[in-house]
Amino acid sequence: MKRALLIAGGTVGGLGAVLSITPPQFGSSSTVAGGIQKTTPTPTAAPTPAAAKAAASGPSGTFMGDSINTQFGPVQIQITISGGKITHVAVPVYPNSSGRDQQINSQAVPWLIQEAMKAQSSNIQGVGGASYTSQGFYDSLVSALAKAGMK
Amino acid sequence: MVRARLQAEIETWGTILFIDVASTTAGEDELNTGIDECRKYFYFVDEVFSTYKPESEVSRLRAGKIKLEECHPDLQEVWALCEYAREVSDGYFDPWCVVGGFDPSGYVKGWAADKGIAILKKHGAENIQINCAGDLSLAGGLENGLPWNIGIRHPEEAHTVVKIFDIMDGAIATSGTYERGSHIRDPHTGLIALGARSATVYGPDGGLADALATAMVVAGRDGAYLFMKPELEAYNCWVIDRHGDVAWSPK
Repeated sequence: MKRALLIAGGTVGGLGAVLSITPPQFGSSSTVAGGIQKTTPTPTAAPTPAAAKAAASGPSGTFMGDSINTQFGPVQIQITISGGKITHVAVPVYPNSSGRDQQINSQAVPWLIQEAMKAQSSNIQGVGGASYTSQGFYDSLVSALAKAGMK
Repeated sequence: MVRARLQAEIETWGTILFIDVASTTAGEDELNTGIDECRKYFYFVDEVFSTYKPESEVSRLRAGKIKLEECHPDLQEVWALCEYAREVSDGYFDPWCVVGGFDPSGYVKGWAADKGIAILKKHGAENIQINCAGDLSLAGGLENGLPWNIGIRHPEEAHTVVKIFDIMDGAIATSGTYERGSHIRDPHTGLIALGARSATVYGPDGGLADALATAMVVAGRDGAYLFMKPELEAYNCWVIDRHGDVAWSPK
């Protein structure tokens, strides 16, 4: 797929138009860091035809990831999903006991969001213009995605 | 058939680097040896080039405590490469025009990532990605022979990709008002750079791509002509204007 081609044709492209082509898929083959345990979500109710139809367009709701212990302390991710697309990533629990931890976190949280982006697109193997996170954030994110039935 | 594939994180340079390597010939042990050598080299680069460490060579050079000739050959090399980057960018990138003196930080990340690629290749890695907080050096494409797909995120909306570049070998660097705020100054005026919200530059050399991305945040549309120079034939940029949600490329 060549989404980039939508705007690569001209030298000037409207950024507003570009934003609407954010990858809508959830690739099962996305390239991601570290050992990831795939978890099957537990259905809370027997699917009805209506629920099955809703599932086809992707899950919605707010999902809390597992609390993961890192060398800097526990981290926990919360994702908000609308129609199968991550619309918000929050980090309600993260270590901030020292200035150094805060420095790590200020870099880690944005990169976490990049991992969320990669998780949504099997077509990206790297993200530019971004900072980076540690494995703990990532593991919590994966568990949140699993709870949402997206991994 | 891929024999080994490894991913690693290296915490240095005030950030976290991500390495992804694969090989059809080298095994995990050999790739791990390469990653270890990379890690040691990147720590060394931090010791020499960190402007945050008062005892680093670059800090002592800035303070006038040592002369360039007394510095490590790597620092002398970066000095010369920065002179070239200043020249080819017509002064839009100027690490001498910084409060406190020569600051090659805008060049070193990409330059060192390229060195890391060379180290990993030496240990048999064929498909390599080194991601230094959003500036990437890449080699060999993906294991299936296709290029890396590198997404560039929106300057303000962190979870949105605004553009995807296909890159087999080379570097891609983005500057702008990302996490660290507007930290780039216009060398010609000394004021905060206003040329572009974000500039992504891609081409064969990581250091030069890094420097040119900074230059384009300063220059904005006024810098488009730089990429028509024969020296920059292999480079291109993708720039988001300061205003109006418009992005453009010079070629």
